[in-house]
Amino acid sequence: MADADEEVINSTSAEAPQIEVDLSDETQDFRLLNHLSFLGDTASSSLPKRGEKDFEPNPTEFQADVLSASRQAMHNALSHPRIHNPKNRVIGFYAPDGPAPPPQYVETPKDKGKGMNISPDACVCIPNPKGKFFQNTGQTDRWNRVWLLPEEALYMIERGSMDIRWPTSLTGTTEMGGDVSEDEVSIPMSLQAAYACFMGQGGLTLERYSVFTGLKRLGYTVFRAPGWDDSAKPEDSNNEKKDAYAQLKQLRHRGPGLAGILASISDWIHDPMSTASTTAGPVIGCGIHRSYSDVYRKMELIPWYDPVLAPQRDPLDTIAPFRVVFHVYKPTNVIKKTALPTPDFRIAVVNTREQTSIPTLPQLGALLESTPLDPPSGEKMERLLYMRLRHGYRNVVLAVVDQGVTSFLRIGDAAFGKEKLFDAKHVPSGGKKHGFSKQRRR
Amino acid sequence: MDQPTLPIPISFISGRYLLFSIDDVTYLRREYNTCGVLIGTLPQIPQQNVFLGLPLELMPEEARLLVDKGVACIVDEAKAHDGMQSLLEEDRRQYLRELESQGLHATRILAERKDQQRDQKFKEKSDKKAATARAAAKAGGGDKHDSPATPANDSPASVADFFDDSASAKASTSTVPEQIYAVTPTTSYPPLPRPSTSSNNILARPDVPLSYPLFAHLQSRGYFLSPGLRFGCQYVAYPGDPLRFHSHFLVVSAEWDQEIDLMDIIIGGRLGTGVKKGFLLGGPQLSREQAESEIERTESVRTFSIEWAGM
Repeated sequence: MADADEEVINSTSAEAPQIEVDLSDETQDFRLLNHLSFLGDTASSSLPKRGEKDFEPNPTEFQADVLSASRQAMHNALSHPRIHNPKNRVIGFYAPDGPAPPPQYVETPKDKGKGMNISPDACVCIPNPKGKFFQNTGQTDRWNRVWLLPEEALYMIERGSMDIRWPTSLTGTTEMGGDVSEDEVSIPMSLQAAYACFMGQGGLTLERYSVFTGLKRLGYTVFRAPGWDDSAKPEDSNNEKKDAYAQLKQLRHRGPGLAGILASISDWIHDPMSTASTTAGPVIGCGIHRSYSDVYRKMELIPWYDPVLAPQRDPLDTIAPFRVVFHVYKPTNVIKKTALPTPDFRIAVVNTREQTSIPTLPQLGALLESTPLDPPSGEKMERLLYMRLRHGYRNVVLAVVDQGVTSFLRIGDAAFGKEKLFDAKHVPSGGKKHGFSKQRRR
Repeated sequence: MDQPTLPIPISFISGRYLLFSIDDVTYLRREYNTCGVLIGTLPQIPQQNVFLGLPLELMPEEARLLVDKGVACIVDEAKAHDGMQSLLEEDRRQYLRELESQGLHATRILAERKDQQRDQKFKEKSDKKAATARAAAKAGGGDKHDSPATPANDSPASVADFFDDSASAKASTSTVPEQIYAVTPTTSYPPLPRPSTSSNNILARPDVPLSYPLFAHLQSRGYFLSPGLRFGCQYVAYPGDPLRFHSHFLVVSAEWDQEIDLMDIIIGGRLGTGVKKGFLLGGPQLSREQAESEIERTESVRTFSIEWAGM
């Protein structure tokens, strides 16, 4: 008695056609990496294909050999050193006490009180910034030095693009004899030291860092959002805004909202034939009904949620972990770090070991209301009902991290009530091909 | 792949368990079925997410099991790095010298490789030239398929020309002593002394979730376990090293007298069968109150495999 759905499942299990194969979804055989030649040859850095795997271990020597070759390949790949060409080496200095003016700088009374404009969480200073990375990383101070946030510094050292030094004030200077600069006497920080010193600094958790680097590796530009600090609360100075929230909330209690009220008034004006009263008598009263649309409109008894009318919420007025911590920009866009445009994606980071349940409606509602309205637009959206529903009126991305494994879920605030199926122009076209797997409907 | 000194120090950083030494990682993988999750960027190919590098993140369960076996200890890494302040002058100088020699070594290897590449490219180029000449001679014979291939062959040769020049320029300058590559070490041991169980920055063994006994049970049977987020379960169980084998089970743990929603069994069974894996439900028969230790609980574990029959 297999129905259509089951047939789909059975066929997928029999032939297992992988629709979207994400290579990062499973452990790859590191031997494939050996096909790539490293060090200096960038022409062949395309990714290898999926490797063949066996079903289960057997006691053959052949299998043991293959396994040990795989492990050796992994060992070799992971022991690749981080080396810096002296020509384009970038040196940063760890500043455990946060941003500070250069040591030789004497504060003049004129400059007193002038802020450095650097995030207090910044912890690595680069006196001579050069290279492409600083176009969208770090903040520049008055002395043309670039300051990096802990996650930025850690990512740079991890990808082998920066040489971070312990401050000589911390480790003491080493007499190497002769007149030498700080570059030569300071001790390079190891990757392990960088993790130990930067992780946990200024709200950086390993989960957030995993999401940050995962996106950076794919080429996205990632910046901290105002909601980064878990304890940050909205400022009370914007009372006006709050009043507006309250008003809007009141409106919401009156059913489908202002538009709904206006619509019902206009309906009443435009439809003198109406004899219906839903409290007493039939929904569709007697009279002459000229079109189905009017009849259907009268049958709209159930109030529905309209995301357009939901109040705009301060991004800080949300509860961690369901608050936006990263603003993400697509790789194609050129970003000026001094004037950030509206982000392409907003991301909240959730750790599965601390948050074991899916968000409650108030948590999710608050999270969505803290993002700006982003109604479906464009030719395709106007034509396809399914695309409109999928896109939603607000959206946010949840990055769920389980012990280093990350999944991204896009949550869209879909408005089913806004789609009048009885209006001819809204008749859905195109089949339901993609399924609603990652959508929230409410 | 030598055996590292035991116990292996597991870095406890910001509430997570990490490994930085490749020798430790390889050893634990080979001897203790512990694979963890690589979370770092590979410096040789940094712009991708398929192959990741050090550090390796361990689940608290993995760290706990290794500590209980006496193979590893948990090190408070932030505290250990305070040791940088009290580094001896002599150690510091020796460490810098060590790094310099590593850098020199890397510089030499790179220079050699460039020379090799140059030679090879030169050889390829001359081979190609000869081939082109031969093809040109043949083209007169009327083989049309050769002619479109000739310009395609030409362009890599000219690219090789370009690389040739830069490579030779670099190779000649790399012999100058100031051109030594700098090295970022992966671990901090040295210059810091490798922590042992007697160090004062050793932490207590990790707290583990209720699913630990099932984890330890499957581990002891030779399974490799990794986090189960991708399949919506607690762990994914591999019959051997995930480098070479596909996983067999989606693992969910339950307490013995815990009520399980029938729907969860259906969901797990259907999902597992759909991705050609078994849905494994299991747990210890003793609760935490009844048993004295997690080891006792582990000994009482029973497991069940559920498959969607699709009748």
